[in-house]
Amino acid sequence: MLRPMSWLPEAGPGRDDFERTFALRPELFAAWREFAGLFWQKRLVDPVLLELCRLRIAQMNGAAHPLSLRTPEARAAGLDEAKIARLDAWWKQPGFSDLERACLRFAEQFVVDAKGMSDEEARPVVAALGDAGAVAFIEALAIFDGFSRFCRMLDVEPVEAPA
Amino acid sequence: MSAPRVKPPRSRGSDPISGSALAHQPETLAAFLKLYGTLWSRGVLDQSTKELARIRNARTVDCTICKSIRFEGARKEGLSEALVDQIRDGFEASELSARQKAVLRWTDTFLSGAAEPDAAQRREMLAFFTPAELVELTAGLALFMGFSKIAVSLGGMPESLPVMVQPTPDLPPGA
Repeated sequence: MLRPMSWLPEAGPGRDDFERTFALRPELFAAWREFAGLFWQKRLVDPVLLELCRLRIAQMNGAAHPLSLRTPEARAAGLDEAKIARLDAWWKQPGFSDLERACLRFAEQFVVDAKGMSDEEARPVVAALGDAGAVAFIEALAIFDGFSRFCRMLDVEPVEAPA
Repeated sequence: MSAPRVKPPRSRGSDPISGSALAHQPETLAAFLKLYGTLWSRGVLDQSTKELARIRNARTVDCTICKSIRFEGARKEGLSEALVDQIRDGFEASELSARQKAVLRWTDTFLSGAAEPDAAQRREMLAFFTPAELVELTAGLALFMGFSKIAVSLGGMPESLPVMVQPTPDLPPGA
């Protein structure tokens, strides 16, 4: 077994610390990649919207690894580093659309207390994305929240520079 | 019961997952069921340990459906309702084993959103679990938490449900 940068004493093969850690359960990692990749590959939600929420959730969970990644689909769709730099105070920053603000508000509530989600927070997201889009969006949030905490718990190291 | 924010489509499955609004996205639903089946039935960690973490999460997130479900595999491994009753605040003083209490503390750290586990908690977990088991438990927690939050975010959750014993998730046919 390889030695990871995470505090676990073993690791599997992989390009970065997340892959080397998750590779200790290869079948599970393969199934996770298949699921988590769908949101980007099938463009189930606008990739910029998704990437903003992914990074915001990583900020909230103090997860260095997902914060160090950039999703190519979002970059190709026009998301730049200047906007990402404003994300940690998006509510008082310019350059975020009404839909982005509604989705970020929803994502933050999801992380802090999903049960406390109000109809006022949910309505604009469901209205804009539609039933199928809203389901995909919320599923993606679940992956972002769950696996940024996974990285925090196992102290998965960031990649050296944004890809 | 509050009104659902997204109603399930007419064409949907009959179990609590595939019968929900998740059926609006058949491709992600199929991929999730494969992932969940792999976690539960193709794992290296015993099912009762995963069930402990799942139920602790369900009670913390307060997902009525998740709280009501018991998986058969964990029941067969001895996770009785008397033990499940002890997965509550104050579990440190319960009759749960040291290993079971370590799993609940790990779950609470995961859910708390606080700092990463300290050196003592890491050592404790490595004393009870192999690295592969620990990865599986933590990935399981990510899925338990994420999907219970989906359920409560979608709304339409009943106030209470009776305990329902369900088959342990396995790979869907053809997966």
